[in-house]
Amino acid sequence: MKLDPNEKLDILEVLRDLDQYRPRRKGWVWRQRLPEQTIGPFIYKDTSPGLKRSVPLPAAEYFSHIDPQCDLVITTEIASGRFEDDLRRMRMAAWHGADHIMVIRTTGQSHIDGLIEGTPEGVGGIPISRKQIRATRKALDAIEDEVGRPINFHSYVSGVAGPEIAVLFVEEGVNGAHQDPQYNVLYRDINMHRSFVDAAESKKIMADAGILQLDGAHNANATAKEAWKVTPELFVQHAVNTAYSRAAGMAPVQIALSTVPPTAPPAPKLRLDLPYAVALRELFKGYKFRAQQNTRYMEADMVETTVSHVLDTLISRLTETDIQSTITPDEGRNIPWHYNNIAGVNTARQTLMGLDGLDELLDIRQDGAFREQVRELKERAVLFLEEILAQGGYYQAVEAGHFVDSGYYPERRGDGIVRDPEGGDCAATVIRRAADYGAPVCSHFGANRYAGKAGKPCGDYGGCTLCDPAKIRYIDEADDEDNVMRRLEIPLAERAQGLLRPEVEKHGDGVVCLTLFIPDEPHTAMQAALEIARHMGLNNPEVINQRVMHPAEGSLFEIKGTVDLVIDKNALPAFSQIQPLADDEIEAWVRPRAIHVVAATVGEDEHTVGLHEILDIKHGGIEKYGFLCHNLGSSVSIEAVLDKVEQTGALAVLISTVVTHADIHKQHMQRLARLAAERGLRPKVLLIAGGPRIDERLARECGMDTGFGHGTTGRDVASFLVRRWQGQDR
Amino acid sequence: MSSLDRPDDFETRRKHLRELSDAELHSRFWSLVERITEPLVEEARTHTSPGIERSVLLRMGFSSAEAKALVDRMHRQGMLGHGAGHLVLQLALGKGISVRAAGEALLNGQYWQELKP
Repeated sequence: MKLDPNEKLDILEVLRDLDQYRPRRKGWVWRQRLPEQTIGPFIYKDTSPGLKRSVPLPAAEYFSHIDPQCDLVITTEIASGRFEDDLRRMRMAAWHGADHIMVIRTTGQSHIDGLIEGTPEGVGGIPISRKQIRATRKALDAIEDEVGRPINFHSYVSGVAGPEIAVLFVEEGVNGAHQDPQYNVLYRDINMHRSFVDAAESKKIMADAGILQLDGAHNANATAKEAWKVTPELFVQHAVNTAYSRAAGMAPVQIALSTVPPTAPPAPKLRLDLPYAVALRELFKGYKFRAQQNTRYMEADMVETTVSHVLDTLISRLTETDIQSTITPDEGRNIPWHYNNIAGVNTARQTLMGLDGLDELLDIRQDGAFREQVRELKERAVLFLEEILAQGGYYQAVEAGHFVDSGYYPERRGDGIVRDPEGGDCAATVIRRAADYGAPVCSHFGANRYAGKAGKPCGDYGGCTLCDPAKIRYIDEADDEDNVMRRLEIPLAERAQGLLRPEVEKHGDGVVCLTLFIPDEPHTAMQAALEIARHMGLNNPEVINQRVMHPAEGSLFEIKGTVDLVIDKNALPAFSQIQPLADDEIEAWVRPRAIHVVAATVGEDEHTVGLHEILDIKHGGIEKYGFLCHNLGSSVSIEAVLDKVEQTGALAVLISTVVTHADIHKQHMQRLARLAAERGLRPKVLLIAGGPRIDERLARECGMDTGFGHGTTGRDVASFLVRRWQGQDR
Repeated sequence: MSSLDRPDDFETRRKHLRELSDAELHSRFWSLVERITEPLVEEARTHTSPGIERSVLLRMGFSSAEAKALVDRMHRQGMLGHGAGHLVLQLALGKGISVRAAGEALLNGQYWQELKP
């Protein structure tokens, strides 16, 4: 399957012959770090090879459109509930620099004792099934070809069907997965014995296939009342899962610790979060670090969230990090919208590019209070471990409410999570292996009569699915109604007709977001804002963010709602816009030629602001390209303009005409054209008029070469001039 | 026990750790962790679960639905401790049929009385 950058992803092509599709590789792929890389005008210290296709950061237009890629893998988490819509989001994220696509599972899948088949719709994520992950991996294989970088696909080996999901992930080429039995125990109330016994098998399966494992410790940050106090326990949770994974055969480089800077401003974030980050890296030297952005203190304000995430990413760069995970800035107010996945990814890559080479500028101080904080955190963690053993072990400690207590250990508040080792979901389902126990398959953990066999444990019957993928049993759909083809009926029909609706999550969901300020006290302002949204045609308007500017002067609102509006794209007016030339291209042509330009606001007209915007370097005007500009000021006569042209040998005239009373603007243009011709200056001198009521058609009718209206920039004018002169050269 | 409420007595508790070097503290950390996980690993080595047994049958070429049906019945009959895959493989070898055919026969209700480790 091959993607065309100008065509939408063809979901029917993704689904075609899916029963035959095999992943092209297994295991995780890191970015390759290039310590000294020249990109555009800069030498970078912390980058990786560039992409074949991408959307660069917005400011890249000032830097020859470069798009440097950092050396950290960048994660985005996707959770629309419909995998067919997720695929488009993944493609957009990949173009913006994400190469770790994490797919959130539907609510409750942890408690399903077995695999789900087919493509049912999920809530807050998708039900992970063979068909869904195979289709996703197939689409990602095409997307990675399109952008020119491997993409890691990731989901969760948790819940009571862990070992089966691990097998499924290996068979279908999933590259990364969360696996941490403590997550099941603490947050899903799944029986402890079952969670740990299953986890060893899952980890062994993942280890052999090179799947990168993330742990679940970050969930303690997200649930603890005061997240910065749970830090000693985080070391313990990371360590329990790490040691257990090692025992199951996982190599250190396959084990990524999922770590979140615990706080957010107004807390003194760096002072609290940095000692923790450093202590973690020292205790877990040799392992990988997946730095997650903070979710615990996310509010509805996306700018506030973004600033916190920039600080999180700064901590990643100040310490050792392998994966930079991103959180969508809207997660605090709704299920993430697709363009906010992109916003989150851009926050990380913009920050990381800005911090390129930070190591060469800064060292973290290794003395004084900072060092003491690092040491204290480690000692608190050691004390935590000692108490677990004193209580009789891990199960007993959990039973005693030792975990996710809001006290700063060894302080205890008595509000930890308490679980009964013999209770929880799937209690009493662990079975002792008989003396003759056997599992004739590869990647099996523990006592097994087939383990010592010559050749492979699966040799007696020609090989297991891990050795012979042809043996994999593929189930297409399990439900006639709840499946992808039924869901696609409307989207595909609308697409064929050329119908367009706004969306944020699923095809044509019609959701739009409105930003408005209401100058009144907060409650009145909110009622007014909602009323205005209704009048604007929003259905079910809902305030997703209110920020008080002043208790009496007013509030800013962001309101979401849906619009029942469908546009037929075939009926849209024809659209052709000439793109301006790049700044450096204009300058390269203009500067060596020392071109004079005469500019003036003509007639009885004192409006000069517009022309300054076009000319002055301060306003981004054409001076910056090397034009020699002669601005004669306001209320200038046409004769004076042309005198200056003759005197300087100017090649272009820019007149600004704002007043339109009695069509005076037309008369100025016509008069300029006539007098210029009489003096023999045409066609050598280009005549351009500008003003709020001017457009290209009107200007040409009045004898100008072109005209520019509202919103014009110096770059637009310079592009026109250079293109015209280049054309004359040829 | 679960309603434990305790002030921060870190300064008292840390006394025995104070003199350790960073390296000694790290190695103490990891040896404690291993003492905690050791019995958990041992339990995993010597126990299995319906989830593990279904994952074995998946690897032997059965679908999720087939694996579930087979494991559920073996569990009810108290045979899972021998290993679901082992039972199916021994049946196949005993009958001189493929593993797939043995599993399908069991799914059709045949040979259950003949299953043995």
